[in-house]
Formats: sequence, structure tokens, C-alpha cells
Amino acid sequence: MTNASEVLSSIQSAFPGAVLDSRVESDRRLWATIDSKKILDVCKHLSTKLNFDHYSGAAGVDWIARKEMEVVEIMASHGTHQVVAMLKVKTPRENPSVKSLTGLYWNANWYEREIWEMFGINFEGHPELWPLLLSDELMGAWPWRKDYKGYPDLTTGERAVKISTPEGYTEYHIPPTPAEVEAGTVVVERPKYPTLREREEKEIKSDSEMIMHLGPQHAMVPGPFLLDVLVEGERVHKAFLDLGYIHKGIEKIMENRSWLQGITYTDRMCYVASLSNNECYCGAVEKILGLEVPLRAQYIRVILEELSRIQSHLIGTGEFLTLIAGVGYAPWQYMIIDRENIISLIESVTGARLTHTFVRFGGVRNDLPAGFADQCKKVLPYMKSRTEEFIELFAQDPIYHKRMDGVGIIRPDDAKRMGVSGPPLRATGVAYDMRKEDPILVYPELDFKVVTGTKGDSADRIDVRLREMLESIHIIEQCLDRIPEGPIRTEVKVPKKVPAGEAYYRVEDPRGEMGMYVISDGGDKPYRVKVRGPFYATFQTLTPLLEGTYIADAVAIAGSMDGCPSEADR
Amino acid sequence: MLKRKMIKNFGWPLKTAMRETEVTRLYPEVMMELPENERGIHELDATTCIGCASCARVCPNSCIEMVHFKFGNPLKNKKMQFPQIDFGRCMFCGLCVDECPVECLKMGKKVVMAGWERKDIVKSPDFLATKRFTAKEVADLEAEAKRVAAEKAVAAAAKKASAAKEAPAKEGAAKKPAKEGAAANGPAKKAAAEAKPKEGGAA
Repeated sequence: MTNASEVLSSIQSAFPGAVLDSRVESDRRLWATIDSKKILDVCKHLSTKLNFDHYSGAAGVDWIARKEMEVVEIMASHGTHQVVAMLKVKTPRENPSVKSLTGLYWNANWYEREIWEMFGINFEGHPELWPLLLSDELMGAWPWRKDYKGYPDLTTGERAVKISTPEGYTEYHIPPTPAEVEAGTVVVERPKYPTLREREEKEIKSDSEMIMHLGPQHAMVPGPFLLDVLVEGERVHKAFLDLGYIHKGIEKIMENRSWLQGITYTDRMCYVASLSNNECYCGAVEKILGLEVPLRAQYIRVILEELSRIQSHLIGTGEFLTLIAGVGYAPWQYMIIDRENIISLIESVTGARLTHTFVRFGGVRNDLPAGFADQCKKVLPYMKSRTEEFIELFAQDPIYHKRMDGVGIIRPDDAKRMGVSGPPLRATGVAYDMRKEDPILVYPELDFKVVTGTKGDSADRIDVRLREMLESIHIIEQCLDRIPEGPIRTEVKVPKKVPAGEAYYRVEDPRGEMGMYVISDGGDKPYRVKVRGPFYATFQTLTPLLEGTYIADAVAIAGSMDGCPSEADR
Repeated sequence: MLKRKMIKNFGWPLKTAMRETEVTRLYPEVMMELPENERGIHELDATTCIGCASCARVCPNSCIEMVHFKFGNPLKNKKMQFPQIDFGRCMFCGLCVDECPVECLKMGKKVVMAGWERKDIVKSPDFLATKRFTAKEVADLEAEAKRVAAEKAVAAAAKKASAAKEAPAKEGAAKKPAKEGAAANGPAKKAAAEAKPKEGGAA
């Protein structure tokens, strides 16, 4: 099995002088600063020779004191080995520019676009440097740079000037004040790029084609995003995605909150997976602090995260069924009723139904209440029988299968190339699960299978989710048997200031691979938090996946991904 | 075959409907049962609150403000400052409860807080306090606090006087220990200061 030091020596021998600085954190983590001229060659070497076929994301960091910017490429492998290589590329702060990896990894596209619009780092050779999350007004302000001052004048509403457009719409123009101009918030010179409408209209080739909007308010996914499809008759020729409708800038907000306060924001990225988000952030900070979590707290975390996975899959499946309305709305009701049992279980521990803020640095907030195990032993067998019934119902329904089989097929190679993770990837047959790949907490001691599908179509994705629920129930049952007595928080006092350092931590979110890259500069606030969400990656595959399908299937495909635009937008 | 399977699937909802599962909650009439750990409206124990404002500092939404409240303990909470919570902004994360050093702030099972206006959901300590002193107890405590303050003042005056008395003696002592005392940090300084009069006395 390849480990981090072997990867490092392989890069060093292939490209002498390319590695400027390196640190082998463990067998699974490699941190290396790569010469910006050679990053493309190094990545090519990694992907061809060392099986780094999973481009997991990229993060931009603004080191204002050092007068340079950094792009951190996160590379991993789909099960061949467990090394995560964090490759840093430095670029001067004046006129920052690095080489784009879009030629090597297809899914680098969105990650680089995001870094470009937030930090203003240019990516040489990127084909589509267009805004992704930000609105047009903010383009060119580079809001995630450390010297961005925001809006110093809070009188925005009073300054708004109403303008009626010739087309009959009303628009508002907000003239900048001198303070804003000085702060650089108001963009004087915007970068040139085609707008979404121009891009769409360029693709229309004949009179028989037209653009159809699905969204921003579409029942397809619980959250606003715009999916425009270019259709000819019933066929979708091309799809366009526009997101950022609920872009909250959580990563930037967390830079301005203390370490502890940051936990509350991770809840709100995706409320059905808030426990795994908590876990991801706290795990990363614990890694920097070097905290050891007591065994009982680890079991509590695992129990709650698995419960949270069950409720997330229930709501995901139920919602999917309402979308393909043919099967009817009844299953949604049943799943919501069943989900209520799980939610009550979680609520009895955390005290909240959705936004738990439960995991703490080095432990958890509350201990399991008295009678929790008994309650679980009542609910879990019931859930098991219900889930088995659901699986049976789905398996035998001929209408459902006529509707879903062969819709939205992703082949394993494509899924790997596009960076999909979670149930959509596992449905293609690739057994890639963070609980096995990058084991955390007590997962290595537990017995569970990674559920995989065979065909990779919409029906398979739902099937994988349902069967995963059974595995989760199995995990919780084991945990309840094994959970020891003991403290639920570390005895070490968690300091208010976290020592300088960085960590990348991955958990298996209900939707796939969730990673957080946290940097501390020794202060009481994080220097940078990068969230690598699972749905962001899945979202990106939607446009190529929809090409050539029917309009009616567009909803089925998008729905089967169990999306959460809130987490993609952050 | 196809038909039989379909009929089976249509039968399933019927079967489930027959099973008497109560789903609808009769909310305003019957409140659902909430767990012990429920994070609802805060409960303030005004008798133990020391007014340290830890809760106000840790709040991510800055919805806690420290305001004056009469029925607390003036012995522990000298300025009589107690948390007032703006539930319009509160997200019930419970960080304030975790941060409280004397565990006087808790979150209870009460969850109804609706009001007609925005200011109605800014809840004062008067609303939050589940435990408080009566007016008489407060008066007694205030008297006690005054007495303690007076005693302290007397003690401080006495100390000052004695310090003034011993000052010439101190000057009589060697200058070196004084310098070392200045260089050392807080507690050591005190110790040195305590040690000095003895030396002076011995001299």
C-alpha cells in the first residue's frame, strides 16, 4: 500500500527541485508546496503513475502578511491507496495567477471558478472563468481576500434609486458613497465575461430549439438553483446551471467568529446533515489541537451521525418520490412519519431537531439520556422492518421500474472522473466510503459493509440509500452494545486560541465525501475554513448528465442526487 | 403477474392506514412531550448569576445584552447585571449555557414566545428568571452587601494606615529586595510585599 512518504519521494525523484517544502503528517496526509511552474507536471505524474484519480477540490488562501496567495489542491485516490495529497501552489499577491488543472481533471472547473471569483486568482488555461456563486455586482471586489472591508455604509436601502427598464421591469441602482469607493467594495472595473443569458443564447442553433427554465423555485431540489435546459421538442440538448441563490459566505463568516462559534455555522450549511458537518469541523480543529476524544464521546458521535444519516436518506428518498409523482405522494408521508421517530431520538440527546450544535472540540455536548438505549431498541427494529418493506416495494413495482430504470446512468469511470461521491458514486459500483477510506472515531472497530449498486441509474441510487439505512441501523446496534461508561469530554481544557497549524479532515456525509480544510494562525479565530461539500461535486455533474435526456427525466435525475443547494452555495 | 404486483403495492398503503399510528399533533391544545435535554427558552437562576457576561460574549448572534434587574444577589453580582435575550435573533445553539461558569443559565422546555411586535420577543431577565429573591430578601442582601462593603472599606483604610506607618521602616530596609520584587511577577510581588514588613519588624 502506498503511503504519504512514498508519494513524496516519488515526486521528488521524478521532479528534482519541484517540491519546495513538505510535511508528512501521517501515512494518509501529505502536505507539499510545489513549484508553480511544475504543478501541472506533478499532477500528471500523480494521476498516471500513482493512481491519484480523485480530484477532491481546491482551496484558495490569502496570506496577506506574506504578500502571497496560495491555491491548495486536494488530491486523493478512489480506493487504490488512502493518501490525501495537499499540494500548495504559491503566487504573488499582485497579479496572482496559477496554472489550471481543468485539462487533467474535469471537475477542477468549479473549484477554480470559485477561487477566481472569491480571491481573484487567475487560472491560466481555464476555459470558463465565469462567476459561479457571486452576483454580478460583487464581481471584481474579490470578497474573500483578507483586505476586503465589506460595506462600511449601512444606509444602502436609503440610497437606492428606482429605475424602470424599457422592458417594463423595475430595477434598483445603489450609488456608491465615498467611503465605499475608498474601501474598494464597489467595483469600478469589472472583469469581462459573458452573462448566463449570453452563454445560453449562443448555444441556440436553430429555430426549433428553445430555453426552458427549471427553477430557481422548482420542487426538484429543496433549495433554489436555476437549471436552464436547451430543448428541442422533448429532448434536452444542453443544460446550464446557475447557483449562488443562497450563497451565505459561511467560510468568510467563520473567519470572523471564534472557534467555538464556528460550530453553529456548520449546522446551517445543510440542516439534514448538520451532525456530520459538526463532526467535520470539530474533527479538523481537534487535529490541530491534538485532542484525544474520550471513547464514550466517540461512540455517541457515531450513533448520532448514523441516526442522522438514516433521517437524511429518508427525507431524500421521500422527496425524490414526490418529484417523480407517478408513484404518488403516499411514500413521502410514510417516510416523514418514520423520520419523526429518528428525529425524536436525536432530539432527546441534542435538544434540537435539526440544527444540533452538538459536537464539541474533544467531546460532545450532552451525554445520552437515561433510557436512550431502550428507546433505540424499540425504534430501530421497527425502522429495519419498514426499510425492508420499502426496498421490497421499490423492487417489485413495475411502474416505478419502467419510469426509473436506465434513467441518468453514470458509468463508474465517468463517476470517478467527475468527482462524484456518496450514494451516486456507490450506485455505479465503486465502493468508496470515507468511513473505510479515512477512518475516524470508532468506525474501524465496527463491522459494516459499503453498499454498492451495479447499474448507476436513478433507481440504483435510491436502492443504495435504502440499503445504507440498514447498514446504519446495524452500526448503531453495535455501538449501543459496546458503548463504555466514561467522560464525554476531554479532561484537557480546550484553549480559546488554537495553535498555528492546518488540518484536512474528511467524514462521510449522507451525501458523500465532506471535507474541511482549516487553517489557524494561532489566534482565537480560524484563519481560513474551506468546506469541500459532497453535493457541490455532484451538482457539477448535472449538466453533462442531462444532455440527451428527456425533459421529464431531468427532474428524476436531479431528484435522485438528493441535493442540497444550501450546502453547495454555502 | 404485473397486475398482481401492482395490486400488492396498492394494498400496502391500505394496510398501513389500518394500523393506528397517530401522526397529527393537536398542537395548541395538546403540547407534545419534549425531552429533558430540550433547548427551549432560557431559564435564569437570578440567585446565583454573577453577571460576568460570558454568555453575552460567546453568543454568535450577539442577542444577549446585560441589563439591570432588581431581584438578584447583590453580594455576588455587584452591578446587578443580568442577561436579556432577543429571541428574534437567538438560534438556540446553547453556547451561552455551556459557557456559564456558575450554571445559572439553562434552557428549558418552554418554547412558546410569539409576540405581536418585534420588541415583544426581547425577553428581559424578569421573564427569564425562574428563581429569584423576593423584595425583602433583596433588601436584606443589599444591607448585607453594604455592611460587607463598609467593612471592606474600613479594612482597606486600616491597611492603608498601617502601610503608611510601615513605609518609613520599609525604606530603612535594604533596597535590593524591593528591586527584585518589582522584577518578579504578580503573586511573587505580593509575597515579597508581605515578607517585607516582617523584615522591617526584625530590623
